Amino acid sequence: MRSQILTISRFTIIESLRNRLLLLAILVIGISFAMVEFIGDLAITEHRVTQAAILAAFLRMSAVVMVTLFVVSSTVRELHDKTLEMILAMPIRRGNYYLGKLLGYLYIAALIAVIFSALLLLYADAEQVAIWMVSLFFELVLVVALSLVMLFTFNQVPSALTAVFIIYGASRIVTSIFLMAKYPIIAHTSIAQQFMDSFIELLTWLLPDLHRFTQTEWLTYNTADWATLLPLLGQTIIYLVFLSFIALFDFYRKNF
Amino acid sequence: MQYAHFLHKDRPLSDVPVSVKISLWLALILQLLWHSFQEPVVATADELAPPLSTRTYVMSSLGEPIAVSKFLNLWLQAFDNQPGASISFHQLDYPRLTQWLDTILELDPEGHYPMLVAARVYGSVHNREKQKIMMDYIFYKFNEDPNRYWRWLAHAVITAKHELKDNELALKYAHALAESATGPNVPYWAKDMKIIVLEDMGEVEAAKILVGALIESGEISDPYELNFLARKIAILEEKMIEKRQSVEK
Repeated sequence: MRSQILTISRFTIIESLRNRLLLLAILVIGISFAMVEFIGDLAITEHRVTQAAILAAFLRMSAVVMVTLFVVSSTVRELHDKTLEMILAMPIRRGNYYLGKLLGYLYIAALIAVIFSALLLLYADAEQVAIWMVSLFFELVLVVALSLVMLFTFNQVPSALTAVFIIYGASRIVTSIFLMAKYPIIAHTSIAQQFMDSFIELLTWLLPDLHRFTQTEWLTYNTADWATLLPLLGQTIIYLVFLSFIALFDFYRKNF
Repeated sequence: MQYAHFLHKDRPLSDVPVSVKISLWLALILQLLWHSFQEPVVATADELAPPLSTRTYVMSSLGEPIAVSKFLNLWLQAFDNQPGASISFHQLDYPRLTQWLDTILELDPEGHYPMLVAARVYGSVHNREKQKIMMDYIFYKFNEDPNRYWRWLAHAVITAKHELKDNELALKYAHALAESATGPNVPYWAKDMKIIVLEDMGEVEAAKILVGALIESGEISDPYELNFLARKIAILEEKMIEKRQSVEK
Protein backbone atom coordinates (compact mmCIF):
# COMPACT_ATOMS: atom_id res chain seq x y z
CA MET A 1 0.00 0.00 0.00
CA ARG A 2 2.75 2.41 0.99
CA SER A 3 4.73 1.64 -2.13
CA GLN A 4 1.68 2.33 -4.31
CA ILE A 5 1.20 5.75 -2.72
CA LEU A 6 4.89 6.59 -3.04
CA THR A 7 5.02 5.47 -6.68
CA ILE A 8 2.05 7.65 -7.63
CA SER A 9 3.51 10.62 -5.78
CA ARG A 10 6.92 10.05 -7.44
CA PHE A 11 5.35 10.15 -10.89
CA THR A 12 3.40 13.28 -9.98
CA ILE A 13 6.68 14.96 -9.05
CA ILE A 14 8.35 13.74 -12.25
CA GLU A 15 5.44 15.16 -14.24
CA SER A 16 5.83 18.54 -12.57
CA LEU A 17 9.52 18.60 -13.45
CA ARG A 18 8.77 17.68 -17.06
CA ASN A 19 6.13 20.40 -17.16
CA ARG A 20 8.97 22.82 -16.36
CA LEU A 21 7.09 24.01 -13.27
CA LEU A 22 10.33 24.78 -11.45
CA LEU A 23 11.59 26.75 -14.41
CA LEU A 24 8.38 28.75 -14.31
CA ALA A 25 8.87 29.32 -10.56
CA ILE A 26 12.38 30.63 -11.21
CA LEU A 27 11.02 32.86 -14.00
CA VAL A 28 8.46 34.30 -11.56
CA ILE A 29 11.31 34.93 -9.11
CA GLY A 30 13.25 36.79 -11.82
CA ILE A 31 10.26 38.96 -12.75
CA SER A 32 9.48 39.64 -9.08
CA PHE A 33 13.08 40.65 -8.42
CA ALA A 34 13.07 43.13 -11.31
CA MET A 35 9.69 44.52 -10.25
CA VAL A 36 10.64 44.92 -6.60
CA GLU A 37 13.96 46.59 -7.39
CA PHE A 38 12.07 49.09 -9.54
CA ILE A 39 9.65 49.67 -6.66
CA GLY A 40 12.62 50.21 -4.35
CA ASP A 41 13.78 53.03 -6.62
CA LEU A 42 10.39 54.72 -6.42
CA ALA A 43 10.02 54.67 -2.64
CA ILE A 44 11.46 57.69 -0.85
CA THR A 45 11.40 56.15 2.61
CA GLU A 46 10.76 52.72 4.20
CA HIS A 47 11.96 51.27 0.92
CA ARG A 48 12.92 47.85 2.33
CA VAL A 49 9.52 47.57 4.02
CA THR A 50 7.75 48.65 0.84
CA GLN A 51 9.72 46.13 -1.21
CA ALA A 52 9.09 43.29 1.24
CA ALA A 53 5.35 44.03 1.50
CA ILE A 54 4.66 44.21 -2.23
CA LEU A 55 6.95 41.27 -3.02
CA ALA A 56 5.38 39.06 -0.35
CA ALA A 57 1.84 39.77 -1.56
CA PHE A 58 2.86 39.14 -5.17
CA LEU A 59 4.69 35.90 -4.39
CA ARG A 60 1.86 34.61 -2.23
CA MET A 61 -0.67 35.12 -5.04
CA SER A 62 1.70 33.75 -7.67
CA ALA A 63 2.31 30.60 -5.61
CA VAL A 64 -1.42 30.02 -5.16
CA VAL A 65 -2.15 30.55 -8.86
CA MET A 66 0.76 28.35 -10.00
CA VAL A 67 -0.08 25.47 -7.69
CA THR A 68 -3.80 25.59 -8.53
CA LEU A 69 -3.14 25.67 -12.28
CA PHE A 70 -0.70 22.79 -12.05
CA VAL A 71 -2.88 20.56 -9.86
CA VAL A 72 -6.03 21.15 -11.90
CA SER A 73 -4.43 20.84 -15.35
CA SER A 74 -2.36 17.80 -14.48
CA THR A 75 -5.24 15.89 -12.90
CA VAL A 76 -7.64 16.84 -15.70
CA ARG A 77 -5.15 15.54 -18.25
CA GLU A 78 -5.05 12.24 -16.38
CA LEU A 79 -8.85 12.08 -16.43
CA HIS A 80 -9.13 12.91 -20.13
CA ASP A 81 -6.20 10.76 -21.32
CA LYS A 82 -7.76 7.80 -19.54
CA THR A 83 -4.56 7.35 -17.52
CA LEU A 84 -6.66 7.35 -14.38
CA GLU A 85 -8.84 4.54 -15.73
CA MET A 86 -5.72 2.54 -16.53
CA ILE A 87 -4.37 3.06 -13.01
CA LEU A 88 -7.67 2.15 -11.39
CA ALA A 89 -7.85 -1.04 -13.51
CA MET A 90 -4.83 -2.22 -11.51
CA PRO A 91 -5.16 -3.62 -7.99
CA ILE A 92 -5.02 -0.17 -6.38
CA ARG A 93 -7.49 1.45 -4.04
CA ARG A 94 -8.94 4.82 -4.95
CA GLY A 95 -7.89 6.17 -1.54
CA ASN A 96 -4.27 5.22 -2.25
CA TYR A 97 -4.38 6.94 -5.62
CA TYR A 98 -5.73 10.10 -3.96
CA LEU A 99 -3.08 9.99 -1.22
CA GLY A 100 -0.33 9.45 -3.77
CA LYS A 101 -1.43 12.43 -5.84
CA LEU A 102 -1.84 14.57 -2.72
CA LEU A 103 1.62 13.66 -1.46
CA GLY A 104 3.21 14.48 -4.83
CA TYR A 105 1.45 17.84 -5.03
CA LEU A 106 2.40 18.68 -1.44
CA TYR A 107 6.05 18.06 -2.30
CA ILE A 108 5.70 20.49 -5.21
CA ALA A 109 3.94 23.01 -2.96
CA ALA A 110 6.84 22.78 -0.49
CA LEU A 111 9.35 23.29 -3.29
CA ILE A 112 7.55 26.39 -4.55
CA ALA A 113 7.27 27.78 -1.01
CA VAL A 114 11.04 27.35 -0.53
CA ILE A 115 11.96 28.87 -3.92
CA PHE A 116 9.67 31.89 -3.47
CA SER A 117 10.77 32.52 0.10
CA ALA A 118 14.44 32.48 -0.90
CA LEU A 119 13.98 35.80 -2.72
CA LEU A 120 12.41 37.38 0.36
CA LEU A 121 15.65 36.77 2.27
CA LEU A 122 17.06 39.77 0.42
CA TYR A 123 14.44 42.08 1.90
CA ALA A 124 13.37 40.70 5.29
CA ASP A 125 14.67 39.07 8.45
CA ALA A 126 15.64 35.39 7.92
CA GLU A 127 13.61 34.01 10.84
CA GLN A 128 10.49 35.88 9.75
CA VAL A 129 10.97 34.62 6.21
CA ALA A 130 11.23 31.05 7.52
CA ILE A 131 7.95 31.45 9.45
CA TRP A 132 6.33 33.04 6.39
CA MET A 133 7.58 30.13 4.24
CA VAL A 134 6.09 27.46 6.52
CA SER A 135 2.81 29.37 6.60
CA LEU A 136 2.81 29.67 2.80
CA PHE A 137 3.31 25.92 2.61
CA PHE A 138 0.30 25.37 4.90
CA GLU A 139 -1.75 27.68 2.70
CA LEU A 140 -0.65 25.79 -0.43
CA VAL A 141 -1.55 22.48 1.24
CA LEU A 142 -5.14 23.72 1.50
CA VAL A 143 -5.06 25.05 -2.05
CA VAL A 144 -3.89 21.64 -3.35
CA ALA A 145 -6.63 19.80 -1.46
CA LEU A 146 -9.25 22.33 -2.55
CA SER A 147 -8.15 22.02 -6.21
CA LEU A 148 -8.52 18.23 -6.05
CA VAL A 149 -12.00 18.52 -4.52
CA MET A 150 -13.16 20.99 -7.15
CA LEU A 151 -11.72 18.91 -9.94
CA PHE A 152 -13.40 15.71 -8.80
CA THR A 153 -16.64 17.68 -8.48
CA PHE A 154 -16.63 19.59 -11.77
CA ASN A 155 -14.32 17.51 -14.02
CA GLN A 156 -13.65 20.61 -16.16
CA VAL A 157 -10.74 23.05 -15.97
CA PRO A 158 -12.66 26.38 -16.19
CA SER A 159 -15.28 25.49 -13.60
CA ALA A 160 -12.74 23.89 -11.24
CA LEU A 161 -10.38 26.88 -11.46
CA THR A 162 -13.20 29.39 -10.99
CA ALA A 163 -14.48 27.50 -7.95
CA VAL A 164 -11.00 27.26 -6.38
CA PHE A 165 -10.30 30.97 -6.84
CA ILE A 166 -13.71 31.99 -5.52
CA ILE A 167 -13.40 29.80 -2.41
CA TYR A 168 -9.80 30.86 -1.85
CA GLY A 169 -10.71 34.56 -2.23
CA ALA A 170 -13.72 34.14 0.05
CA SER A 171 -11.57 32.43 2.70
CA ARG A 172 -9.17 35.37 2.61
CA ILE A 173 -11.80 38.11 3.00
CA VAL A 174 -14.73 36.44 4.73
CA THR A 175 -13.71 37.85 8.12
CA SER A 176 -13.72 41.41 6.75
CA ILE A 177 -17.14 40.85 5.17
CA PHE A 178 -18.40 39.37 8.43
CA LEU A 179 -17.20 42.40 10.41
CA MET A 180 -18.82 44.75 7.91
CA ALA A 181 -22.09 42.86 8.19
CA LYS A 182 -21.92 42.71 11.98
CA TYR A 183 -21.12 46.40 12.50
CA PRO A 184 -22.96 48.20 9.68
CA ILE A 185 -22.83 51.98 9.32
CA ILE A 186 -26.63 52.06 9.06
CA ALA A 187 -28.46 49.43 11.12
CA HIS A 188 -30.95 47.31 9.17
CA THR A 189 -33.43 44.73 10.30
CA SER A 190 -35.02 43.46 7.07
CA ILE A 191 -35.42 39.70 6.73
CA ALA A 192 -33.29 39.64 3.57
CA GLN A 193 -30.47 41.41 5.39
CA GLN A 194 -30.72 39.09 8.40
CA PHE A 195 -30.59 36.13 6.05
CA MET A 196 -27.45 37.53 4.37
CA ASP A 197 -25.83 38.19 7.76
CA SER A 198 -26.53 34.63 8.86
CA PHE A 199 -25.23 33.26 5.57
CA ILE A 200 -21.99 35.24 5.94
CA GLU A 201 -21.63 33.99 9.51
CA LEU A 202 -22.16 30.44 8.27
CA LEU A 203 -19.36 30.99 5.74
CA THR A 204 -16.98 32.07 8.50
CA TRP A 205 -17.70 28.73 10.19
CA LEU A 206 -17.22 26.67 7.05
CA LEU A 207 -14.26 28.35 5.38
CA PRO A 208 -10.67 28.14 6.69
CA ASP A 209 -9.21 31.21 8.43
CA LEU A 210 -6.85 32.06 5.58
CA HIS A 211 -6.53 35.70 6.63
CA ARG A 212 -4.36 34.54 9.53
CA PHE A 213 -1.94 32.72 7.19
CA THR A 214 1.24 34.09 5.57
CA GLN A 215 0.89 37.65 6.83
CA THR A 216 2.93 40.39 5.21
CA GLU A 217 3.15 42.14 8.59
CA TRP A 218 5.55 39.42 9.77
CA LEU A 219 8.08 40.41 7.14
CA THR A 220 7.65 44.15 7.41
CA TYR A 221 7.49 44.59 11.20
CA ASN A 222 8.96 41.28 12.48
CA THR A 223 5.84 40.45 14.47
CA ALA A 224 5.78 36.65 14.13
CA ASP A 225 7.32 33.96 16.28
CA TRP A 226 7.28 30.18 15.81
CA ALA A 227 4.26 29.85 18.10
CA THR A 228 2.26 31.83 15.51
CA LEU A 229 2.38 28.73 13.33
CA LEU A 230 0.67 26.43 15.82
CA PRO A 231 -2.93 27.58 15.22
CA LEU A 232 -2.19 27.65 11.50
CA LEU A 233 -0.96 24.05 11.66
CA GLY A 234 -4.13 23.06 13.52
CA GLN A 235 -6.35 24.74 10.94
CA THR A 236 -4.36 23.18 8.07
CA ILE A 237 -4.64 19.64 9.44
CA ILE A 238 -8.35 19.92 10.21
CA TYR A 239 -9.24 21.48 6.87
CA LEU A 240 -6.97 19.12 4.92
CA VAL A 241 -8.74 16.15 6.48
CA PHE A 242 -12.13 17.76 5.76
CA LEU A 243 -11.29 18.48 2.10
CA SER A 244 -9.68 15.08 1.61
CA PHE A 245 -12.80 13.27 2.74
CA ILE A 246 -14.98 15.44 0.48
CA ALA A 247 -12.66 14.53 -2.41
CA LEU A 248 -12.67 10.82 -1.50
CA PHE A 249 -16.46 10.83 -1.10
CA ASP A 250 -16.77 12.18 -4.65
CA PHE A 251 -13.99 10.00 -6.02
CA TYR A 252 -15.45 6.74 -4.66
CA ARG A 253 -18.83 7.56 -6.20
CA LYS A 254 -17.40 8.35 -9.62
CA ASN A 255 -17.94 6.01 -12.56
CA PHE A 256 -15.31 5.96 -15.29
CA MET B 1 16.37 15.79 -41.05
CA GLN B 2 13.76 14.15 -38.90
CA TYR B 3 12.62 17.63 -37.77
CA ALA B 4 12.31 18.93 -41.35
CA HIS B 5 8.59 18.33 -41.39
CA PHE B 6 8.17 21.01 -38.72
CA LEU B 7 9.45 23.59 -41.18
CA HIS B 8 6.86 22.62 -43.75
CA LYS B 9 4.06 21.55 -41.47
CA ASP B 10 1.70 24.24 -42.87
CA ARG B 11 -0.03 23.81 -46.16
CA PRO B 12 0.95 26.27 -48.98
CA LEU B 13 -0.65 29.73 -49.12
CA SER B 14 -2.38 28.80 -52.34
CA ASP B 15 -4.55 26.41 -50.34
CA VAL B 16 -6.22 29.35 -48.56
CA PRO B 17 -9.46 30.27 -50.36
CA VAL B 18 -9.34 33.61 -52.19
CA SER B 19 -12.45 34.78 -50.32
CA VAL B 20 -10.64 34.31 -47.01
CA LYS B 21 -7.59 36.25 -48.21
CA ILE B 22 -9.74 39.12 -49.51
CA SER B 23 -11.80 39.19 -46.32
CA LEU B 24 -8.65 39.31 -44.24
CA TRP B 25 -7.36 42.35 -46.14
CA LEU B 26 -10.78 43.99 -45.99
CA ALA B 27 -10.97 43.43 -42.24
CA LEU B 28 -7.52 44.97 -41.79
CA ILE B 29 -8.49 48.02 -43.90
CA LEU B 30 -11.73 48.31 -41.94
CA GLN B 31 -9.81 48.33 -38.66
CA LEU B 32 -7.44 51.03 -39.95
CA LEU B 33 -10.38 53.12 -41.18
CA TRP B 34 -12.17 52.67 -37.87
CA HIS B 35 -9.12 53.90 -36.02
CA SER B 36 -8.71 56.92 -38.34
CA PHE B 37 -12.28 58.06 -37.52
CA GLN B 38 -11.73 57.92 -33.79
CA GLU B 39 -11.13 61.15 -31.88
CA PRO B 40 -7.43 61.66 -31.18
CA VAL B 41 -6.37 60.79 -27.65
CA VAL B 42 -5.45 63.88 -25.66
CA ALA B 43 -3.54 63.63 -22.43
CA THR B 44 -5.59 65.12 -19.60
CA ALA B 45 -4.63 65.21 -15.99
CA ASP B 46 -7.15 63.51 -13.75
CA GLU B 47 -8.17 65.02 -10.47
CA LEU B 48 -7.42 63.12 -7.30
CA ALA B 49 -10.55 61.09 -6.54
CA PRO B 50 -11.60 60.56 -2.93
CA PRO B 51 -10.23 57.35 -1.40
CA LEU B 52 -12.47 54.33 -0.88
CA SER B 53 -12.96 52.86 2.57
CA THR B 54 -10.07 50.91 4.06
CA ARG B 55 -12.23 47.76 4.11
CA THR B 56 -12.62 48.01 0.33
CA TYR B 57 -8.86 48.12 -0.10
CA VAL B 58 -8.37 45.20 2.29
CA MET B 59 -10.91 43.10 0.42
CA SER B 60 -9.76 44.02 -3.07
CA SER B 61 -6.22 43.03 -2.13
CA LEU B 62 -7.47 39.70 -0.70
CA GLY B 63 -6.55 40.66 2.84
CA GLU B 64 -3.18 42.34 2.24
CA PRO B 65 -3.58 45.75 3.96
CA ILE B 66 0.15 46.41 4.33
CA ALA B 67 0.97 45.55 0.72
CA VAL B 68 -1.91 47.69 -0.55
CA SER B 69 -0.87 50.60 1.68
CA LYS B 70 2.67 50.46 0.30
CA PHE B 71 1.30 50.32 -3.22
CA LEU B 72 -1.00 53.30 -2.55
CA ASN B 73 1.99 55.23 -1.17
CA LEU B 74 3.79 54.86 -4.46
CA TRP B 75 0.68 55.53 -6.53
CA LEU B 76 -0.12 58.72 -4.62
CA GLN B 77 3.47 59.86 -4.73
CA ALA B 78 3.47 59.43 -8.53
CA PHE B 79 0.05 61.02 -9.02
CA ASP B 80 1.62 64.26 -10.26
CA ASN B 81 3.07 62.30 -13.17
CA GLN B 82 0.17 60.98 -15.22
CA PRO B 83 0.38 59.46 -18.72
CA GLY B 84 1.18 62.32 -21.09
CA ALA B 85 0.47 65.03 -18.51
CA SER B 86 2.34 66.33 -15.55
CA ILE B 87 0.76 68.36 -12.78
CA SER B 88 2.53 70.14 -9.96
CA PHE B 89 1.84 69.51 -6.31
CA HIS B 90 0.26 73.01 -6.22
CA GLN B 91 -2.57 71.73 -8.37
CA LEU B 92 -3.41 68.87 -6.06
CA ASP B 93 -6.48 69.04 -3.86
CA TYR B 94 -4.77 69.14 -0.46
CA PRO B 95 -7.76 68.36 1.78
CA ARG B 96 -8.39 65.30 -0.38
CA LEU B 97 -4.70 64.44 -0.22
CA THR B 98 -4.94 64.29 3.56
CA GLN B 99 -7.86 61.85 3.22
CA TRP B 100 -5.60 59.60 1.16
CA LEU B 101 -2.77 59.85 3.68
CA ASP B 102 -5.22 58.98 6.43
CA THR B 103 -6.49 55.93 4.53
CA ILE B 104 -2.94 54.72 3.92
CA LEU B 105 -2.08 55.14 7.59
CA GLU B 106 -5.21 53.27 8.58
CA LEU B 107 -4.19 50.38 6.34
CA ASP B 108 -0.71 50.27 7.85
CA PRO B 109 -0.63 52.03 11.25
CA GLU B 110 3.02 51.10 11.78
CA GLY B 111 4.20 52.87 8.64
CA HIS B 112 5.57 56.42 8.59
CA TYR B 113 5.61 56.89 4.84
CA PRO B 114 2.46 59.10 4.67
CA MET B 115 3.82 61.31 7.45
CA LEU B 116 7.12 61.72 5.64
CA VAL B 117 5.48 62.77 2.38
CA ALA B 118 3.14 65.10 4.31
CA ALA B 119 6.12 66.79 5.98
CA ARG B 120 8.76 66.75 3.29
CA VAL B 121 7.01 66.39 -0.07
CA TYR B 122 3.57 67.97 0.08
CA GLY B 123 4.56 70.20 2.98
CA SER B 124 7.46 71.71 1.03
CA VAL B 125 5.48 73.41 -1.75
CA HIS B 126 5.79 77.20 -1.98
CA ASN B 127 2.19 77.84 -1.06
CA ARG B 128 1.44 78.95 2.48
CA GLU B 129 -2.14 77.70 2.50
CA LYS B 130 -1.21 74.24 1.29
CA GLN B 131 1.78 74.02 3.61
CA LYS B 132 -0.51 74.95 6.49
CA ILE B 133 -2.98 72.20 5.53
CA MET B 134 -0.16 69.65 5.67
CA MET B 135 1.23 70.98 8.95
CA ASP B 136 -2.27 70.90 10.47
CA TYR B 137 -2.65 67.33 9.26
CA ILE B 138 0.61 66.38 10.96
CA PHE B 139 -0.59 68.12 14.13
CA TYR B 140 -3.90 66.23 13.96
CA LYS B 141 -2.11 62.87 13.59
CA PHE B 142 0.33 63.83 16.36
CA ASN B 143 -2.58 64.40 18.73
CA GLU B 144 -3.81 60.87 17.97
CA ASP B 145 -0.51 59.29 19.01
CA PRO B 146 2.09 61.82 20.22
CA ASN B 147 4.83 59.31 21.02
CA ARG B 148 4.64 57.76 17.56
CA TYR B 149 4.45 60.91 15.46
CA TRP B 150 6.56 63.38 17.51
CA ARG B 151 9.34 63.65 14.93
CA TRP B 152 6.94 64.79 12.22
CA LEU B 153 5.60 67.51 14.49
CA ALA B 154 9.18 68.53 15.22
CA HIS B 155 9.56 68.92 11.46
CA ALA B 156 6.35 70.96 11.39
CA VAL B 157 7.78 73.31 14.07
CA ILE B 158 10.77 74.00 11.80
CA THR B 159 8.56 74.47 8.73
CA ALA B 160 6.25 76.83 10.62
CA LYS B 161 9.16 78.83 11.99
CA HIS B 162 11.46 79.06 8.96
CA GLU B 163 9.24 78.60 5.91
CA LEU B 164 5.87 79.90 7.01
CA LYS B 165 7.54 82.47 9.32
CA ASP B 166 4.62 81.92 11.67
CA ASN B 167 6.09 81.93 15.16
CA GLU B 168 2.69 81.58 16.84
CA LEU B 169 2.04 78.36 14.91
CA ALA B 170 5.56 77.10 15.62
CA LEU B 171 5.01 77.79 19.32
CA LYS B 172 1.68 75.96 19.28
CA TYR B 173 3.33 72.86 17.79
CA ALA B 174 6.41 73.10 20.02
CA HIS B 175 4.16 73.46 23.08
CA ALA B 176 2.22 70.32 22.06
CA LEU B 177 5.51 68.48 21.61
CA ALA B 178 6.70 69.46 25.07
CA GLU B 179 3.39 68.64 26.73
CA SER B 180 2.21 65.48 24.95
CA ALA B 181 5.26 63.64 23.65
CA THR B 182 6.35 62.17 26.97
CA GLY B 183 7.46 58.70 25.89
CA PRO B 184 10.97 57.43 26.61
CA ASN B 185 11.72 57.36 22.89
CA VAL B 186 11.21 61.12 22.55
CA PRO B 187 14.58 62.91 22.80
CA TYR B 188 14.96 66.04 24.88
CA TRP B 189 15.83 68.19 21.88
CA ALA B 190 12.26 67.71 20.67
CA LYS B 191 10.89 68.91 23.99
CA ASP B 192 13.43 71.75 24.02
CA MET B 193 12.06 73.16 20.78
CA LYS B 194 9.61 75.30 22.72
CA ILE B 195 12.52 77.09 24.43
CA ILE B 196 14.15 77.88 21.09
CA VAL B 197 10.90 79.17 19.56
CA LEU B 198 10.21 81.32 22.61
CA GLU B 199 13.76 82.70 22.48
CA ASP B 200 13.36 83.52 18.78
CA MET B 201 10.07 85.24 19.50
CA GLY B 202 11.86 87.48 22.00
CA GLU B 203 10.12 85.82 24.95
CA VAL B 204 13.45 85.41 26.71
CA GLU B 205 12.04 85.43 30.21
CA ALA B 206 9.44 82.77 29.44
CA ALA B 207 12.13 80.65 27.82
CA LYS B 208 14.32 80.99 30.90
CA ILE B 209 11.50 79.96 33.21
CA LEU B 210 10.82 76.94 31.01
CA VAL B 211 14.47 75.85 31.07
CA GLY B 212 14.58 76.22 34.82
CA ALA B 213 11.40 74.19 35.20
CA LEU B 214 12.81 71.47 32.96
CA ILE B 215 15.95 71.16 35.07
CA GLU B 216 14.03 71.21 38.34
CA SER B 217 11.54 68.59 37.18
CA GLY B 218 14.30 65.98 37.44
CA GLU B 219 13.12 64.36 34.21
CA ILE B 220 16.44 65.07 32.56
CA SER B 221 19.26 62.82 33.64
CA ASP B 222 21.57 63.07 30.66
CA PRO B 223 24.62 65.19 31.72
CA TYR B 224 25.06 66.62 28.19
CA GLU B 225 21.43 67.68 28.13
CA LEU B 226 21.73 69.28 31.58
CA ASN B 227 24.89 71.05 30.48
CA PHE B 228 23.12 72.31 27.34
CA LEU B 229 20.22 73.65 29.42
CA ALA B 230 22.54 75.30 31.96
CA ARG B 231 24.37 77.04 29.10
CA LYS B 232 21.04 78.02 27.66
CA ILE B 233 20.07 79.70 30.94
CA ALA B 234 23.33 81.65 30.89
CA ILE B 235 22.72 82.80 27.29
CA LEU B 236 19.13 83.73 28.09
CA GLU B 237 20.25 85.71 31.16
CA GLU B 238 22.77 87.57 29.01
CA LYS B 239 20.06 88.39 26.52
CA MET B 240 17.77 89.60 29.30
CA ILE B 241 20.48 91.92 30.63
CA GLU B 242 21.15 93.25 27.11
CA LYS B 243 17.44 93.81 26.64
CA ARG B 244 17.12 95.69 29.92
CA GLN B 245 20.17 97.85 29.15
CA SER B 246 18.79 98.76 25.72
CA VAL B 247 15.46 99.76 27.34
CA GLU B 248 17.21 101.91 29.99
CA LYS B 249 19.23 103.70 27.31
